[in-house]
Amino acid sequence: MPVLECKGLTKRFGRTAALDEVSLTVEPGRIVGLLGPNGSGKTTLIKLANGLLTPDGGYIAVCGTAPGRESHSLVSYLPERTAIPTWMTARQLLDFYGDFYQDFRREAAEEMLDHLGIQPRQAVKQMSKGTREKVQLIMVMSRAAKLYLLDEPIGGVDPATRDYILSTIIGNYNPDAAVVISTHLIADVEKVLDEVIFISQGRVALQSTVDGIREEKGMSVDALFREVFKC
Amino acid sequence: MLRKLLKHEFRATGRIMLPMYLILLVTAVGSNLAGRGMLDGRYHILNILGVLIITAFGIAICGALLMSFVLMIQRFYKNLLQDEGYLMFTLPASVHQHIWSKLIVSSVWFIVTVLAIIAASLVVAYQGGFLRELLDFLRYFLEGLRKLEVSEAFNGTIYLAEFAVLMFLSLVAFSLQFYAALAAGHSQANHKLLWSVVWFFGIQFALQFAGSLLIIGSNELDVFNRLFSHWDPSPTVAIHVGLLMAIGCVIIYGAIFYAITTFFLKKHLNLE
Repeated sequence: MPVLECKGLTKRFGRTAALDEVSLTVEPGRIVGLLGPNGSGKTTLIKLANGLLTPDGGYIAVCGTAPGRESHSLVSYLPERTAIPTWMTARQLLDFYGDFYQDFRREAAEEMLDHLGIQPRQAVKQMSKGTREKVQLIMVMSRAAKLYLLDEPIGGVDPATRDYILSTIIGNYNPDAAVVISTHLIADVEKVLDEVIFISQGRVALQSTVDGIREEKGMSVDALFREVFKC
Repeated sequence: MLRKLLKHEFRATGRIMLPMYLILLVTAVGSNLAGRGMLDGRYHILNILGVLIITAFGIAICGALLMSFVLMIQRFYKNLLQDEGYLMFTLPASVHQHIWSKLIVSSVWFIVTVLAIIAASLVVAYQGGFLRELLDFLRYFLEGLRKLEVSEAFNGTIYLAEFAVLMFLSLVAFSLQFYAALAAGHSQANHKLLWSVVWFFGIQFALQFAGSLLIIGSNELDVFNRLFSHWDPSPTVAIHVGLLMAIGCVIIYGAIFYAITTFFLKKHLNLE
């Protein structure tokens, strides 16, 4: 059973269609890049999968159920902005995730926080922007979820932090789960992807395996992206 | 899940309200001491200090009341409609549970604030013999209760329970007015706070208009006389009926705002 499935999914904001008849499936055990330029509909798709938006047409399901309370316990979501409460300390944040998610692996999270040198009593508001993003990622990746939806996890961070984020994702995701990484920074994520979905102006332009692109097109995903989305 | 939401909501709000109550207590003790000779005019500096402490107590009372009001709005706005909403609305909890956690916690803080202000006022009023007078009053009150007949005691208890329910529901309905306006205003793409204000006054106007029409219509059709012409209740029963009708009105009033809030949070959530 696909962990994420969309059929004819449509979302409009006023007269503009942010997503237009999008159909795709994501199978378990895959790391999928949701790739497209800014404003192509990546974030809208991820918000719909999280139930943060309501579709205007079509169908979307996470592990066979419509996005909602049940699917929230199966999906681990990293929003594009810092959403963790800044007044909380690292320990309170661990308590929070541990209380709400049965699949939260507290020991793994504590180990990663310790590795970053973050004290349990340190408040999120005392951390730098980059550290907050790392802490949020640690919380998200410390869950043994069925689907990880990561919206722009490497956007706006330095190359060293990008490497840290990608190694945290690869080193901690549940191997039976699928990981969807939304980004327009292709070259950085290409090495970790199994599959890519190109999304352009609210429509799926391409869904293929990374190996398939290399064999059939004879080029890297980054090169193909530049060709498809050439201005 | 509601229990867990309540736990974290109390944790988030308690870090602000508890120090507020501590300030209230400290200024109350200070005001009590100020009333014991600081204001008798012998030393100018002590007079000024005494006035300042009593002013601080007044400010602390206003601050505690204002803070419980601001916190009621701020927690809903910041925790659900701003960046934290991305975390909160992807928890395995329903929209109803989110709303109730906010309603219950803000109502509890309103009640605790009023109790804290009463307690602080007693601290200010405390003088030698005050405690004995208070105990005398309680003894007199309990003796009075013992003299009551069973029916009076029963009705009195029910009145208190009805009044407590009415107060709690009124607090909930009061908070829901703001939640509905914020939820509706934040469904817009831009100028979300401005739209929230517009929604607030729009809903108030619509409800007052509908209420006026209902009263005028009831008078025109002589509804109350027709309903109560064959019924002449005793004063005891009439008070019960009055309180229950007030509870019913508050429930309908709150339910309208609750429906608006859940509709917008479920169907038109539009986080930035």
